[in-house]
Amino acid sequence: MVDGVTRIACVRVEAFAAAAVERCEPGLREQPLAVVSGAAPATRVVEANAHARAAGVRPGLSDAEAGVRCPGLARRPVSPDAQAAAHHALLDACLSVSPRLEDAGPGLVHVDLAGLHRLFGHDADIAARLRRQARAVGLEARVGIATTRTAAMVAAWVGPVVNVLPAGGERAALAAVPLAALEWPDALQATFRRWGLDTLGDLATLPREGLGTRLGPDGLEAHDRASGVDRTPWVPWTAPPFWEEAQGLDYELETLPALTPVLAAVLGRLCARLSVAHLVADALDVRLALLTGGHHTRSMTLAAPLSDVPALVALLALEIEAHPPAAAIVGVAISAHVVPRRAAASDLWQPPAPAPRELAGVLARLTTLVGGANVGAPVALDSHRPDATTLTTFSGQPGTPTDAVPDTRPAADRTGEPAAGALALRRLRPPRPVTVDVHDGRPARVNDPAARTLAVVTCAGPWRISGDWWDVHVWARDEWDVALTDHTVWRLTHNRLTNTWTLDAVYD
Amino acid sequence: MTELVGPLSSGRTSLLTLCLRDVTRRGALAALVDTDHAFDAAGAAAAGVELSRVLWVRAEGHRRHALKAADLLTRCPGFALVVLDLGESPPRLSVGGAYRLRLAARRSGVALLIVSARRVVGGAAVLAVAARRDRLAWTGPGPLPRRLAAMRSEFHLVRKQGAPSAAGAERLWWTA
Repeated sequence: MVDGVTRIACVRVEAFAAAAVERCEPGLREQPLAVVSGAAPATRVVEANAHARAAGVRPGLSDAEAGVRCPGLARRPVSPDAQAAAHHALLDACLSVSPRLEDAGPGLVHVDLAGLHRLFGHDADIAARLRRQARAVGLEARVGIATTRTAAMVAAWVGPVVNVLPAGGERAALAAVPLAALEWPDALQATFRRWGLDTLGDLATLPREGLGTRLGPDGLEAHDRASGVDRTPWVPWTAPPFWEEAQGLDYELETLPALTPVLAAVLGRLCARLSVAHLVADALDVRLALLTGGHHTRSMTLAAPLSDVPALVALLALEIEAHPPAAAIVGVAISAHVVPRRAAASDLWQPPAPAPRELAGVLARLTTLVGGANVGAPVALDSHRPDATTLTTFSGQPGTPTDAVPDTRPAADRTGEPAAGALALRRLRPPRPVTVDVHDGRPARVNDPAARTLAVVTCAGPWRISGDWWDVHVWARDEWDVALTDHTVWRLTHNRLTNTWTLDAVYD
Repeated sequence: MTELVGPLSSGRTSLLTLCLRDVTRRGALAALVDTDHAFDAAGAAAAGVELSRVLWVRAEGHRRHALKAADLLTRCPGFALVVLDLGESPPRLSVGGAYRLRLAARRSGVALLIVSARRVVGGAAVLAVAARRDRLAWTGPGPLPRRLAAMRSEFHLVRKQGAPSAAGAERLWWTA
């Protein structure tokens, strides 16, 4: 707000359909490009970039005529996915400057500048910032700033790439703009020519009601544009919960090495958007359009939030390598679940931890190697059942040192020597079935089919435990600690429900 | 790179668990490559290991997978300790493979502990320790024991890089 007057910026991307294609293929920026639609021979030019327009290529031309006017013309089909992604990218870029936006159509965004002058300076500085953020997501934008949205939009349409209209002087500034500099419906343009109108000022002097009577809603809208008056309420835009980038292909991809550059391009655009919004990806959903008409969808939760393109490309490539699609690929769409970026330095008093990018890569490779069910942080379940453990996601976050707990266990033996720690078990999964000779109710000999028959030197027990008696998974067992003649010490279990013996673990 | 070898019931897994406890209680991260899926997580938690700071990789008996996993983890700086538990049938490891592991551990500043029934990395190990069971202590109210109370292990220094002849032994009690 300048001197109590609200200022609005209009960010506009010229030839938006062509700009969206150029964003997917940056190499096309340096050559004439036409976006076309329709099947040959009825193919028509929909949009052309600046190089093509300089050569005389205009929307509506037939493909053949465009080729004659500009021999080196590159042609690409209209891509609604690319346009939607580019438009969202433009909105994201503007959102990084102001929280109040209005989506004004493809390639057009209104930005409320209230409160931004203290942060970024004058109107021209804010406009430069908006252009810089748009360039960061691969779009070249023009910016017009005025007191109303309509005047700002006209300012973004004509004049220099940053066109700031002084507060209160919009009407005078717009009056000199030629009508031909703006886009009008053909019938309206013909009417203006017939009436002898040359500038917006000429149009603004006409009575609005009369224009409405003669030209209908189009006439009223034209008069509002010429006067720089807003008649519609501001419709704020909020960021969508998902962030998506997509790219269609004119050719089929059948191998992972061929797909990787496409993944890198799509992820590069997605990460650029995340970067300007100070976000990072927490999970990725990739949707591959297949030649058969179906889709191959994969979801990937990242070990740590990332916005690093090479790491994400490597992770996605590993995921697709582990789960390849059933047919050739003709389109790629990637959406990200995002979390705010944490710009925090490592704790000085914490031990070092793996970098999130490297840890994510290692976890993905380990998952490919041994399977996702075999990688993670162990969790002891709240159960009395022996060996009740599971795996959970490994966070990779170091913690603060835990205070040493004084060891209150008694001395290990009668000599009073202290124990260094707890005696560990090596589990046998699944437990190994054995037959046991029992004398006087105690194990005397263990016949292990996988080894030999061994006599019990000493045994201790039974340690009777049971649980889940309220469930179908009821268990009841007697545990014995047995020292065998081969100098091993085992935990031997007698299942009281099935009357079977198993070796559960070995003390080691 | 340290090698810890010994037969079953020698106390090597107890020493492994003690290492995990010390590292994780310091706040650092550890990784355990478990070839035979033998790690007792509940027992380790009871022994004081902070399980959330342990990355458990289960190779389900595939020794080549276990070696590859250890190779990946030793190349990732940030882990204070990587344990490769090769179990009772350790694979044959070439001299080149052993020195590759050692070089990776040195470059990334990771302590690599290899636990197995016999020595597998030979001269590539900076330290090699052999464990054997020394004594058992039983407990119970009557003449017949009701529970294993403790076990004493004896650890011999087999190799120490730079030392002409390794010698020395230490006995440790483990409470059951």
